[in-house]
Amino acid sequence: MAGNNTEEVEGSATTETKTNSNAEVPPEFLIKHPLQNTWSLWFYDNDRNKTWEENLIELTTFDTVEDFWRLYHHIKLPSELRQGHDYAVFKQGIRPMWEDDANKMGGRWLISLEKKQRNSDLDRFWLDVVLLLIGENFEHSDEICGAVVNVRAKLDKIGIWTADTSKQHANIEIGRKLKEQLGIHGKIGFQVHRDTMVKHSSATKNLYTV
Amino acid sequence: MSASPVARQATHSQAIPSRRVLITDPAQMPDVYSSTPGGTLYSTTPGGTRIVYERSFMMSLRQSPISQTPPKCSLPAALLKNPGSVPHSSSPVQKNNRSNSISFDESQETFSMDL
Repeated sequence: MAGNNTEEVEGSATTETKTNSNAEVPPEFLIKHPLQNTWSLWFYDNDRNKTWEENLIELTTFDTVEDFWRLYHHIKLPSELRQGHDYAVFKQGIRPMWEDDANKMGGRWLISLEKKQRNSDLDRFWLDVVLLLIGENFEHSDEICGAVVNVRAKLDKIGIWTADTSKQHANIEIGRKLKEQLGIHGKIGFQVHRDTMVKHSSATKNLYTV
Repeated sequence: MSASPVARQATHSQAIPSRRVLITDPAQMPDVYSSTPGGTLYSTTPGGTRIVYERSFMMSLRQSPISQTPPKCSLPAALLKNPGSVPHSSSPVQKNNRSNSISFDESQETFSMDL
């Protein structure tokens, strides 16, 4: 009967699927997913015999989701770094320093973490920030330059750097999205790089707050 | 895979057209990164074309076999999670064995392979 025939055909198809290992792998796992931007991973090595700029090393670049994970799986988490070290993820061609042309007019949303948050929040926040950046999850993602995580004795910090402090609407959208996605309940502030340059960062006033 | 947040805002009431493409052989894969099996997956978003991934989708790719392979670049040993567990990209011992076994017999096809 027709009904029985259909069943038999389906049955044999299932067997074939089981013997063909390729068919069991989801299609998403067979390709690399391209990112909108190519990103550079930077590392700041706190070597006292070197200048600040010499300590800043561009480790590698990545432009697919899978290549990001390959790196992530093999390098230490921020909480495993030594104090004084940084990671930075920036769009290729932008150096993670105030002086870079792309950062000169910019600023950063600053997330400060208390010492006890190093075990609970630091790694999770950093991963979520990087995913927000490389997945282009901000409406104004053109304004994004990169992000930095500073591992420090006093306060660990994560900064999300944007290009132009005068773009209030774009910067506030980015700040709100960060707060919402990371689940931060307190206030976070946006600081102008030029202000951070001249003052100690804890004394820098906020241009925007969300 | 769901639509990007940007696309969703602009198309509240419309269903996203979708299509499943089953890949059974690597030969069916497109040869460029910018294309996906069965045609280009990423369409135009309001304000221009932009490749947007949601966190949940990127997290699902974390377990992909490609994502587990070691990075190609050399990284400072101090930054590696488990220096012992990362296999070296090239194994000199194996290479030497191989080169010894190569015979320069011109009658052999240049690209013949024993599989």
